[in-house]
Amino acid sequence: MAPSNLSHRRTHNLLLISKLLSLRDTASPFTLLQDSLEQPAAPLVKEYIRRAKLSKVHVTFISYETLKRPDGVDAFISTRRKTPTEIIREASSAYHQGTGTEPVRRRLIIIDSINPLLNSKTLDPGFHLPSFLGSFIAPSASSNGRAEASLVVTYHQDIPSQSQRDHYSPPPLSMLTYLATSIITLHSFSHILARKAARDRSFVPPVFGLEEVQDGVLLSRLDKLAGTGTAEGVVLELEHRRKSGRGVLEWYLLPPASRYSPHHVKEVVTLLDDNVLYNPPKEAETSGGNDEPQSTFELGLTDRQRRDREGVVLPYFDAQQGDGPGEGGRILYDMGEEDDFDEEEDEI
Amino acid sequence: MPSQPPLPPLLTPYLSDLPESSLTVISSVLGATSNWLVLRYLHASLSNTANSNTSPENNGSIGRTSRKVVLVSFMRSWDFWKTEAKRLGLDLARLRDKRQFVFVDGLSELFTPSASAFSTVPVGSANHATLPLRNRPTPVPGRGPPAAGSLDRSAQDRRVQGDASNSVRLHFRGRGTAALDAIEKDIISELHRQRASSDENEELLLIIDQLDLLLAATGPGLGIGATEMADWVMGLQQHAHATVLTIAADSPLIHNAATNVHGDCTPIETEHAALALGLAHRARTVMQLRMLETGAARDVSGVLRISRGGGWNAEAKHSLDEKELLYYIQRDGGLRVFGRGES
Repeated sequence: MAPSNLSHRRTHNLLLISKLLSLRDTASPFTLLQDSLEQPAAPLVKEYIRRAKLSKVHVTFISYETLKRPDGVDAFISTRRKTPTEIIREASSAYHQGTGTEPVRRRLIIIDSINPLLNSKTLDPGFHLPSFLGSFIAPSASSNGRAEASLVVTYHQDIPSQSQRDHYSPPPLSMLTYLATSIITLHSFSHILARKAARDRSFVPPVFGLEEVQDGVLLSRLDKLAGTGTAEGVVLELEHRRKSGRGVLEWYLLPPASRYSPHHVKEVVTLLDDNVLYNPPKEAETSGGNDEPQSTFELGLTDRQRRDREGVVLPYFDAQQGDGPGEGGRILYDMGEEDDFDEEEDEI
Repeated sequence: MPSQPPLPPLLTPYLSDLPESSLTVISSVLGATSNWLVLRYLHASLSNTANSNTSPENNGSIGRTSRKVVLVSFMRSWDFWKTEAKRLGLDLARLRDKRQFVFVDGLSELFTPSASAFSTVPVGSANHATLPLRNRPTPVPGRGPPAAGSLDRSAQDRRVQGDASNSVRLHFRGRGTAALDAIEKDIISELHRQRASSDENEELLLIIDQLDLLLAATGPGLGIGATEMADWVMGLQQHAHATVLTIAADSPLIHNAATNVHGDCTPIETEHAALALGLAHRARTVMQLRMLETGAARDVSGVLRISRGGGWNAEAKHSLDEKELLYYIQRDGGLRVFGRGES
């Protein structure tokens, strides 16, 4: 990959993820988080809440599987034994816009898991998923000047969906991915590294957890690398659909929450390609410069030896002088002081 | 006698340190059942008050948090738990009388027609207890013949209205969420009674054994699916300090639905997988029991893998190390837990 390309991605795509996670300019009204048991979405949801707190966004948490109200949430709505209509009503009443003096606060609405709703047996057959989700983002026009809301919905990929009730409508996941303006699929960083290591050696990439299809295994061991503290973090695979229709695909790394303070304002997410573990820097081959073979013998020359070697006049130079046949090409040798004179050798 | 302590030191932190409103899911397979682990949870919670043969080293490591336990069992009878706990030196009957422990029987009369349940006179109840009526086949509970005397007593005590010291029996009536609500109400009233009788610093632990039976025996035909079951669990969770539940994770129940994308798997496969995985997504800890991949071994019963579930909170002060351990249950009920390569 060309470095210019990478630097281009670095500027633009980091800006994009920062905009998405901080909910600026309602870049993505409906974000779908696809997680699995191997990498739950909880850290990312926490990051959403953290950033919302920093920018004073009103957070509504609609709980399908969370028992306790998470920290930093303004309104917590339990959905137990409630119909979708009641949930919508409760969510819209959770935020009362103040009188004119107060600035309009943006809203973040989080649904911690959409699967229970999709698989519910008590659901009214006339339930329409797009209008349910849409009603959060674009509530009724009764109150004008309404806060703009962003919806973040988690979908557990590994929970099987019910067989289709109505064969003429698309399955819920297709519907969700179609509606979403951004789709973030979460992966465990250590798994991504293991897969990459295998791919680099042309091995079959390993599978984890449920994909192992092993009796009794729901989750693989997550923290094989956690002790070293190196491969922690969440890999985000982002697919963002711009308003223009152009799609952006990028892989990011969200470091674990313990690495930065909750009031950290600067961007913490990095490109996956910029990570040292994922994309190790190229071996600095040219920096050394000595391409001689290594050996226990000293194969180099000292300066004096080099000078002497350059001073030697080789026989064919002498032969070119054209002193007649037989004359050129003699080996002319000047005795050095360290040389022994050998009488028997000298028969020229 | 077992030279092993009832609670292996390697497991103790996982058994005794349960943060508030946490959910622990124990998944088991047919060849590696979860009963021993549930018994260890009972022991870790109850043994401090029971002056049984716990060794002093254990008492030190467990700490002095005393707990009250409500055990809801769908697969095993009271006799089974009582006998097995006795092997660990835990007298459940006495603890029950002391209101330290409550047994909620979800097996004996879950599907018994309603009329007989309350109108039987004490004379007939002994008969009734030894021959539990079921209109659906359920797995054979317990081992050995039930001790008729104790059952008789418990059956008679049960009839005494107002005396709450004995096991409550759950009944499934009707269909859908209404039926689940009725069961939930029965369990919650027990939880409340336990809570009312306990001090401030006593934690209330709820153990639900094999709740998947309820799903398997009712199913979508009765308007009960994974969502309704998970909702039901959440309702119970709200009334307990911590919840431990066991669920089967055998390959057909989990993987058929996941691999079959075309939806030609049975409702029970889909619903069970959705329930088990949904609970794992919620759980703080997932304890997965399975057999050795390399086949049966004489000195290893199975593998216990302890993982963080989807509900694990990184910032909580209770840390949780993920581990994979081997365990061996000796003939006398003693337990050895060790790492791979150790013995």
